[in-house]
Amino acid sequence: MSKISDIDIIAIIFRVIDELNEMLPADNRLAKSEDTKLAGPGGGLDSLGMVNLIVALEQKLSSLLGDDVNLIDDRAMNQESSPFSTIGTLSEFIKSISPE
Amino acid sequence: MAVREHKCLLLSSFTIDNFAGYLSNAPYLPTLEVVTLPAYDNVIQSLLEYDNRVWNPKPEFVIIWSTPDRVCPSFRKVMDYKPVPDEVIADEVKEFADLVIEAARRTGQMFIPSWVIPGDDRGLGILDMKSPLGIRRALMKMNLQLMESLSSVPNIYILDTVRWMMLAGKGAYNPLLWYMAKIPFSNEVFKESVPDIKAAMAASLGLRKKLVIVDLDNTLWGGIVGEIGWENLRLGGHDPVGEAFADFQKGLKRLTDLGVVLGVVSKNEEAVALEGIRNHPGMVIRLEDLVAWRINWQDKAENIVSLTEELNLGLSSVVFIDDNPRERSRVREALPEVLVPEWPGNPLLYRKALDDLRCFDSITVTAEDRKKTVLYQSEMARKKDRRHLPSLNAWLKTLKIKIRAEELNQTNLPRAVQLLNKTNQMNLRTRRLSENVLKKWADQDFHDFWVVFVEDKFGESGLTGIISLEYSGKSAVIADFILSCRVIGRKAEETMLAFACRKAKEMGTTEVLAEYIATPKNKPCLDFFRRSGFVSKPEDDLFRWLPENEYLFPEEVTFLGTNE
Repeated sequence: MSKISDIDIIAIIFRVIDELNEMLPADNRLAKSEDTKLAGPGGGLDSLGMVNLIVALEQKLSSLLGDDVNLIDDRAMNQESSPFSTIGTLSEFIKSISPE
Repeated sequence: MAVREHKCLLLSSFTIDNFAGYLSNAPYLPTLEVVTLPAYDNVIQSLLEYDNRVWNPKPEFVIIWSTPDRVCPSFRKVMDYKPVPDEVIADEVKEFADLVIEAARRTGQMFIPSWVIPGDDRGLGILDMKSPLGIRRALMKMNLQLMESLSSVPNIYILDTVRWMMLAGKGAYNPLLWYMAKIPFSNEVFKESVPDIKAAMAASLGLRKKLVIVDLDNTLWGGIVGEIGWENLRLGGHDPVGEAFADFQKGLKRLTDLGVVLGVVSKNEEAVALEGIRNHPGMVIRLEDLVAWRINWQDKAENIVSLTEELNLGLSSVVFIDDNPRERSRVREALPEVLVPEWPGNPLLYRKALDDLRCFDSITVTAEDRKKTVLYQSEMARKKDRRHLPSLNAWLKTLKIKIRAEELNQTNLPRAVQLLNKTNQMNLRTRRLSENVLKKWADQDFHDFWVVFVEDKFGESGLTGIISLEYSGKSAVIADFILSCRVIGRKAEETMLAFACRKAKEMGTTEVLAEYIATPKNKPCLDFFRRSGFVSKPEDDLFRWLPENEYLFPEEVTFLGTNE
């Protein structure tokens, strides 16, 4: 397994954002920017939206890495601040858990 | 003009929000106001609560998407391999079907995706379709029983969930979505379902495509007939490409059974191309299957306009299929109303591309649909005949037109509903009603509803008109004035008005009113009323006739009266 690049991670997240936007009302769609808030106050996703985000990301990362990826294991829960706050923090988190 | 949103209520036994999102955002017609309920697993409860606000105003569409275990409790035992008598399951399915039928009385069209279980669940494995304990055996029986229980209800349609799961592939069921959000299907399944469901809705609103125009060389057959001769075309036989072209033609021919008509627009020498159509043994489409053609060297967009004008069809009811991207681009640019699908470069994918179009659905198929090509061909023979005659009225007299009216009855009801919901051009108010609603409306004492049949020396055009009256005090208001484009201009319009005025007089009314409600397509109806003899204020859309003055039946027509 090779570690995926930062560019790959952002590209994958943006692809998932495109998929989520297909389901969201026009005025709730997410911008493809590292600053876009996802969860928490002011975040663009409700609980179901978060599930959709996590499931789609896990599938794409697992397929790319050839191994199961779990984004909501202890490593995510033990972070001081939620890794799902913004696209940028999510990207950093994925980078931190992806294999060397 | 703002696009009207049609209310669509979703009832579901699982989290339906993802599907609701795709359905709301799908960019093609009809546009929907999708209503979901906050409560999870709300199907039975919602069907029982007649006074729930979700039923008011009445939804035009209702989708009931449930999992079998939530509506039939015994099925849960089946899933645990516990023996359950078939009759017990059958009773539960019937109970559910009865609830659905009751709800269908207070809605428009109702769509019910069939019951499935995840593909990963192998049940009893090799015995699953054989043993009385088999899960799939029970499920198949349940679906079959549901279909049979609901088949006679005209506004309920069972849709095939298995098809969407097959299209979605291996990931049709996603355990992550199930355990984290109680969604038993992947989003790919929802994405596959939306075009089918919207096609069904469009069909019920009369928005389906009615005419497919195809190119010839490398579209209907392999090769260029003008260069290699019809004997050398690739079509049928023991050749993968030839077989694929023949299969594509079979797909087109099958559409004609749904009331779609076929035309050809091709850049070719007409005599050479027609020789190919007539003589090639692999041709599935015969000359008599084509309602019209334009085979010449002119611009294809112009040819499409000329062909649709000849058939009295609007461009928005046309699909144009051509292998040449330049021709597709030209037609798309010149005629944006025409649907010009992207077309695969490989002929082996033609049939799949045709099947993927999903724009030809029909909510009913009548005997008239099946002979639509013949009906259009008769109409064109009339037009050809007319060219040899000095004036329109003189020509109409030679046609020996006979018109009769019938009150609404069980036999003519399906075709009446179809005409009511499909006709766009000669349509005064463009009311769209389900069978149930129309029947109730027509049964009321202060309403009269007739269907109109037209025939002439070339043959029968069938049930092609509707005229209905609503009596209010001393006024008779025309509720529907509808005429199929097949018979426009043959004095059926004037005959229907004369008949309506005579009826209004018999009912003792002192005025007949016709209020024109504009749509993007019904200007021909306004034009007719402006020259009909009914009076209106300048620029006003309310037309009036005083029955004390007799509205004369046109002398070119023999009116045979009604079946009263």
